[in-house]
Amino acid sequence: MLTSHLLSWSINRCILKSLVGSMSKLLNFPDSRDEEQNTLARTLIYTSAGLILFSVIFIAAVPFFAPVLTGRAVRLAGVVIPVCGLIIFLVKRKKLWSAGLTLTTLLWLVVTLSSITAGGVSAPMFMGYVIVILVGSLISNHSTNIITTIICITTGILIAIAETQGLLPEPIVVLPAARIGIYIFFFLLVMAFQRVNTINMMELIKQSKNNASRYQSLLENFPATTYINNTNVNAETEYVSPQVKKLLGYPRSAFTDDPLFWTKILHPDDTQQVLAESQRTSETEEAFEMEYRIVAKDKRVIWVKDEAALVRDKETGKPLYWLGVWTDITSRKKSEEGQSDLVNGMTRRTIQLQTAAEVSRAATSILDINELLPNIVELIRNHFEYYYVGIFLIDEQNEWAYLRAATGEMGTEMINAGHRLKVEDSSMIGWCITHKGARIALDVGEDAVRFANPLLPLTRSEMALPLITHGKIIGAMTIQSDKSAAFSRVDITALQTMSDLVANAIENARLFTDKVNLNKELEAQNEELERFTYTVSHDLRSPLVTIRGFLGYLRQDAESGDLRRFDKDLGRISNAVDKMQRLLNELLELSRVGRITNPPEKVSFGEIVQETADLLSGQLEAGNVRLNIISEFPIVHVDKLRISEVIQNLISNAAKFMGDQANPTIDVGMKDLDTDGKPIFFVRDNGIGIHPDFHERIFGLFNRLDPEIEGTGIGLTLVKRIIEIHEGRIWLESEPGEGSTFLFTLPVPMPEQTQQSESKKNG
Amino acid sequence: MVGEPIQVMLVEDNVDHAELVIRTLEEHRIANKVRHFLDGQSALDYLFHRGEYLDDANNLRPHVILLDLRLPRVDGIDVLKAIKESDELKAIPVVVLTTSEAEKDVARAYYNHANSYLVKPVGFEEFKKLMDDLGFYWLSWNTNPHSKE
Repeated sequence: MLTSHLLSWSINRCILKSLVGSMSKLLNFPDSRDEEQNTLARTLIYTSAGLILFSVIFIAAVPFFAPVLTGRAVRLAGVVIPVCGLIIFLVKRKKLWSAGLTLTTLLWLVVTLSSITAGGVSAPMFMGYVIVILVGSLISNHSTNIITTIICITTGILIAIAETQGLLPEPIVVLPAARIGIYIFFFLLVMAFQRVNTINMMELIKQSKNNASRYQSLLENFPATTYINNTNVNAETEYVSPQVKKLLGYPRSAFTDDPLFWTKILHPDDTQQVLAESQRTSETEEAFEMEYRIVAKDKRVIWVKDEAALVRDKETGKPLYWLGVWTDITSRKKSEEGQSDLVNGMTRRTIQLQTAAEVSRAATSILDINELLPNIVELIRNHFEYYYVGIFLIDEQNEWAYLRAATGEMGTEMINAGHRLKVEDSSMIGWCITHKGARIALDVGEDAVRFANPLLPLTRSEMALPLITHGKIIGAMTIQSDKSAAFSRVDITALQTMSDLVANAIENARLFTDKVNLNKELEAQNEELERFTYTVSHDLRSPLVTIRGFLGYLRQDAESGDLRRFDKDLGRISNAVDKMQRLLNELLELSRVGRITNPPEKVSFGEIVQETADLLSGQLEAGNVRLNIISEFPIVHVDKLRISEVIQNLISNAAKFMGDQANPTIDVGMKDLDTDGKPIFFVRDNGIGIHPDFHERIFGLFNRLDPEIEGTGIGLTLVKRIIEIHEGRIWLESEPGEGSTFLFTLPVPMPEQTQQSESKKNG
Repeated sequence: MVGEPIQVMLVEDNVDHAELVIRTLEEHRIANKVRHFLDGQSALDYLFHRGEYLDDANNLRPHVILLDLRLPRVDGIDVLKAIKESDELKAIPVVVLTTSEAEKDVARAYYNHANSYLVKPVGFEEFKKLMDDLGFYWLSWNTNPHSKE
């Protein structure tokens, strides 16, 4: 018995299990992504299933408490159950709207029919309209709900009218218990729907809660910082995501406690631009997009990309807030900067190559060093946009480096002032030359240098490069920039190559200039030699012709016994011999001037003049010539003996060409300095004067103006030669009958020049 | 032609040389009349009737001019140029008589239409011989254009 009971129970359990399984399968509905759709589908299926269940229970229960209704109940269930099946089928086919409409219509039909047959308005089934409206509101949208309600009310009124008119069939009297049952059923149904509704609501709330936290966690785990700013012009911060701490090191509270905190940590160079753009976009309401720098709490500079858009209310379109994202783009920027450094570097190298090419072109095409150097400094300065470029060349004693070419007005000014630097460690240039190495001085960093040349006030970096050719240092080049830290080791390498080029160019130009000068000198010497042989052949022959000629006559004179003529002819021969002697002596003297030079000494010019005047006093007195020394004379730096010769020649020359002057006078004096700063001395006479046509020729070898006057034609040539050896000039101011003035310049001792600038570093 | 005084113009700055020339010419009775000028300027003044020779009615046209090259004031070459550029004077034979053997001088002289170029010899006999030949050639053998054309 027990076993059979257990058996039947277990069988029942199996049946129940399969029943529940099939039920749950039946109750399954296609899952839709739309939560609202899911809720509706669930409601429809539960309702339909509930109706089927109710119908089955009703049919089973009716015969017990209202047998009269059994037939009707069966008919009702015969309609309800298939329709509900149809509804479930529709839901499964996702035709939710049709299913909902079918359900509402079914319920309405059941309620209406029941009400009509069960006694109209007073029938318990009349309350079913409430269920219809309730179901309608659950399964459909707002407008269908209203239509359902209107239909129910209209049907209710029509039933009431029909009842009043007695059009309804006689109601079947039901037991009060049945009535109660129906009411209870309705209450339960209302409660069930209410429950479904509540569950749906709860579900939705839970769902949206889930969504919100999902979005938030999405925002706060996103690899960028999000923020919300209000729509004020100032764009005050309302929210910032916690990533900001990682991005900038500041806590979120820093941004929310001070809504304008973000504007205070912008990079100073970007602040103005960012605020302007922020203001502009807040006025135009355009999206904000910018890349800028922010200074993090640990003072690191962070590049961010800031993109923000204005969020508006969906319905009213009213601006609500700015939603923005900060992305860290520091590493990207750095790599971009790296690339641009690379590009800049390559651009510099290209420029350096170009300049080198142009320097080498200049070097090969310009062979005059005085033209080449200014060209090179300008080339280098212009290509690199340096502030100043100068070239120093050292003197033969290796003691001073003289500025030979420099850019700009200040350069010209320094060259004109004879700017030079001692070849020793006291200056960049000096160091560079003594150590044969390049050197950089910057006004930044540990070795910061103060640049103090008043003519180059903007210099902030200097590079000195040695000019070396064939292993020999010939000078140095200074390159100065008005930018701080303008030079690097790499620049030295590149520019050193160029300075080697410059050094070679200078050497070539020098060699070429030397060669040209040598050629010129050789040509001049050749010319003079030619003139010399010519003159010698003429002027030395001339007395020979006389001597040999009259020697013949001398014999004739002796034979004829003409003693008077013998004497006269002998005199002619003797004069010719003397003349030859003198000529030879003076030629010897002239050749000595070029070859033998005494070292120049500091000597008073006045002293030389006085001594010479004493030497000539006899000759002057004989000619009744007065000699006036009319100036105070400076100290000159000359070969004293030679200059004495010059004065002697000029004075005796002047004395010779007095003509029939009654008061022959010679003045020796000094005029102002000439353009080179050398004193101009003069010897002036009031003699016969010289026509301007002869002013040049008079200095030529053996050129004599007056055959009547004694002379070899060498004196003035000698004078000119001596003056030129002293790097002076000699010229003549004279007109026939107005006397002559010979003017000449002589060097004065160099003043002990002190170094131009006290500043240690400037070149 | 015979009996007419033959005019030789000597332009020479060296008085000794001039004496030598004049003496040799006179000895050989070739030159009845030699006129000596010490520099180029006075020679040109004579030929062109200028300066101190302005009123000189007797400054006869020379039959031949003996010209030294290196002369004070106006150089020998310039004297030669002036003569040969003058329509009136260019027919007069000009004999350059100088100590210079330089090719340059020879070339310049002939370029400027000198009729002959002679270098003063060193040596009495040579000098005499040259003057003999010179006298004979220019004053006897050579036919000169008629002075009045």
